[in-house]
Amino acid sequence: MPIERLCRCSGLVHLCYSWFYSVPKRLLFSLLPFSLLTWVLLLLSALSHSGAEPWLGNWPQWTTQLTQAAFVLSVFLYYRYQPSPLQGQAFVKLLRRLLLGPGLLALACVGLHLLERQAKDEPIFSGNSLFFTCIYTLNLGLFVIFLARTNYAWRALVLFRSSARLQREWTLFEMMLGATLLFRLVGVNPPDYIGIPIVVLLGLYGIYLSGHQKWVAYLSQRDKWNAVLLQAGLLFGVLVFVQYFRVTQVDPQLIAPKPQYAFLLLTAFFSAFYALMGLLVTFFNMPIADIIEQRRNEILRLQRLTQIIQRGQTSAEVYNILLESAVQTVQAEAAWLDLDPGHAGIDAAEATYYYNLAPNQVNVLRELLKGHELPEGEFITNDLNLRPGFAGMPQAFRSLLQLPLRGLHYNYGMLHLLKAEPHTFDREDLSILQTFTSQAVLSIENLELVHTSLENQRTQEELKIASQVQDSLIPKNLPTDNWFEISSHSLAAKEVGGDFYDFLHLPGRRLAVIIGDVSGKGVTAAFHMAQMKGIFHSLMQENPLAKNERDKFPVPSRFMTQANTALAHCLEKSCFITSSLYIIDYEQGGFVFARAGHCHTLYYHALREEVFYFESTGLGLGIIRNDTYEKHIKNQFYDYSPGDVMVIYTDGIVEARGEGGAEYGEDRLKLRLEETYFQNAEEIKSFILRDLNAFTHGFPIHDDQTLLVIKFKSAQPPQ
Amino acid sequence: MKVTAQPTADTLTLLLDGELDASSAIVLDTELAKPDILDYRKVLIDCAKLSYISSAGLGVFISHLQRFQDAHVKLVFFNMQEKVFNVFEILGLDALMTIVPTATEAEAA
Repeated sequence: MPIERLCRCSGLVHLCYSWFYSVPKRLLFSLLPFSLLTWVLLLLSALSHSGAEPWLGNWPQWTTQLTQAAFVLSVFLYYRYQPSPLQGQAFVKLLRRLLLGPGLLALACVGLHLLERQAKDEPIFSGNSLFFTCIYTLNLGLFVIFLARTNYAWRALVLFRSSARLQREWTLFEMMLGATLLFRLVGVNPPDYIGIPIVVLLGLYGIYLSGHQKWVAYLSQRDKWNAVLLQAGLLFGVLVFVQYFRVTQVDPQLIAPKPQYAFLLLTAFFSAFYALMGLLVTFFNMPIADIIEQRRNEILRLQRLTQIIQRGQTSAEVYNILLESAVQTVQAEAAWLDLDPGHAGIDAAEATYYYNLAPNQVNVLRELLKGHELPEGEFITNDLNLRPGFAGMPQAFRSLLQLPLRGLHYNYGMLHLLKAEPHTFDREDLSILQTFTSQAVLSIENLELVHTSLENQRTQEELKIASQVQDSLIPKNLPTDNWFEISSHSLAAKEVGGDFYDFLHLPGRRLAVIIGDVSGKGVTAAFHMAQMKGIFHSLMQENPLAKNERDKFPVPSRFMTQANTALAHCLEKSCFITSSLYIIDYEQGGFVFARAGHCHTLYYHALREEVFYFESTGLGLGIIRNDTYEKHIKNQFYDYSPGDVMVIYTDGIVEARGEGGAEYGEDRLKLRLEETYFQNAEEIKSFILRDLNAFTHGFPIHDDQTLLVIKFKSAQPPQ
Repeated sequence: MKVTAQPTADTLTLLLDGELDASSAIVLDTELAKPDILDYRKVLIDCAKLSYISSAGLGVFISHLQRFQDAHVKLVFFNMQEKVFNVFEILGLDALMTIVPTATEAEAA
């Protein structure tokens, strides 16, 4: 931008620039009395030159120039630093105040001039230049004030919503005007071949600035007429002044100095030109004012729709506003909105919304339209009357616009707008209404989202309850006896899990211990886990028909076969359960167990001082759902000695993931038992868990974890 | 996880690549649930690149086991990594399903 570069290059200009923005406050307050003083001095100086008052003597020529320049400068500066005359978007008010204030001064000027002309012919004033000089100086003062006010009113309009660049350009314009004043002051009269191009250039710059008429777009239709009239009035005012000075300039009686030609001429030219441009722009904008206003209203309606979303209103309100906005936007005479009963959104009270139509009329129209096989989506028909069936309607609608409320997954409904005149809807209407409908759909979907999130919260609450219920299924009181110690740990990956364990005292100093793991996680697994617990307790009932004591309760393999049969009917197809059942007989010092696909039992043999995994075969429950399961499960008998330790767990322990996706593994678990077998059950469990936590630290648990540690103690007689 | 199907005249070979967990189990299930899979005489599962199998992954095979048996379609696993084989073994599936070391044996099975 050459102008800017010019500004930056010159240090002097830069100084002026900063001075322009930072006039001391004190100086501002003194501007008004100062301008008054300079005007009085100007008057006296002018009188001295006219020779009307000989007692004034003969002042030097430069006093007139100086006082006049000082007056112009102070008036302009005074108005420059007044608060902006434009308040908000009250353009018409600004113009009116300008016309009624300084504009009326123009009339006064004309009046004074006429009076002076009248008075001149009277013998009493003949040759008396006192009166003429006074009036001339007064008019000059008024003209300067008028120009200053107009100039700064135009500034407010030019800079309305302007860029920083335009503001700088304006300041440059002011500074250039000021410079012309300065030249006058120091009495520099450049030759015409320099002066005229400079003035012309400044004039062109003024024309360029006059092109900024952004404010016109913000006028309503009525305001535009007002603005045209007011600007015409202002233009007239400026012309009156200019004419006055044109006439008086050549008056033989004018002994007063010439006005600051270049400066006043330029300012007057700019003021008049801006008024003229504004007038023309406003005038030529008139035909499109309707459209601009319509666009603004559309934006306002869209804003209202948007605000509805933020306030979280009901869907019924959204539909109402949509219908209302659509009708107003395209100025439809009647309309209705059909909602899809399946997807009308929550709390939409009605399935149809009407505007200027009764439900029975809509029913008739709907039936008629059905016969014409209109397309599913957007559709405009502008010759409805030519279609059979519509001719005899009581309310003859000729134009129809239909528009679906298209959501992400489905249509929420269909909007129908009607007008009596044919050929009144166009593509433009359709695209605006589409904006409305998509906004409305957005609101509806948003409301549904809020609703869903509330539902989710409720589900969370229920899961919490489920978690509490499941927690109550896990035995809190571990069996205690002086023959053994038991310690347990259980942790679900989600709120509820599929791991379980339980104990049951059987007659004959026996204890049944079961551990199990339902495939999968979460609620499904938790349900099956509860079933398995039920199966355990129902199958471990005493059988009164049993022939001997040992058969009164099923042995583990028998239990697994029966459980498999029971589960066959209630497990999902891809679901299975792994389980191990141990029946410990602490009178005999031995136990029998069956492993149905469950993790191998880790065992410390005290006499042999050896840690090992029981290697046994056995198929998981629910994998084969017929009688052949029996062949896939076996009992294993084992005699224990005091000090033996049994570690029972689910795969959530050995398959726990650590650094780099590595699994905890059976080997690591075995090592931990080798290090701690001599401690009590609780200590062994804690040691293993600490090691597990260290291994998985910082990684999410992705499977339920259960760990049981049983330590056998020296046999003691029952108490 | 990636499942690649290689059909020949009477054999369909499925190459499993990656970890077979709850989310990838769906992909495999879709593949095994295709009705025309029962037109083959044998379905071979190449587990060379199967690095992990979860209970959900096992569940997919278990749920189709009976269907394959009823249609006399042989389901054979081969090239199984030891870790994955352990999972099958612990659950007792090695007694129920045909698991062989190499492709040659799988074709012969």
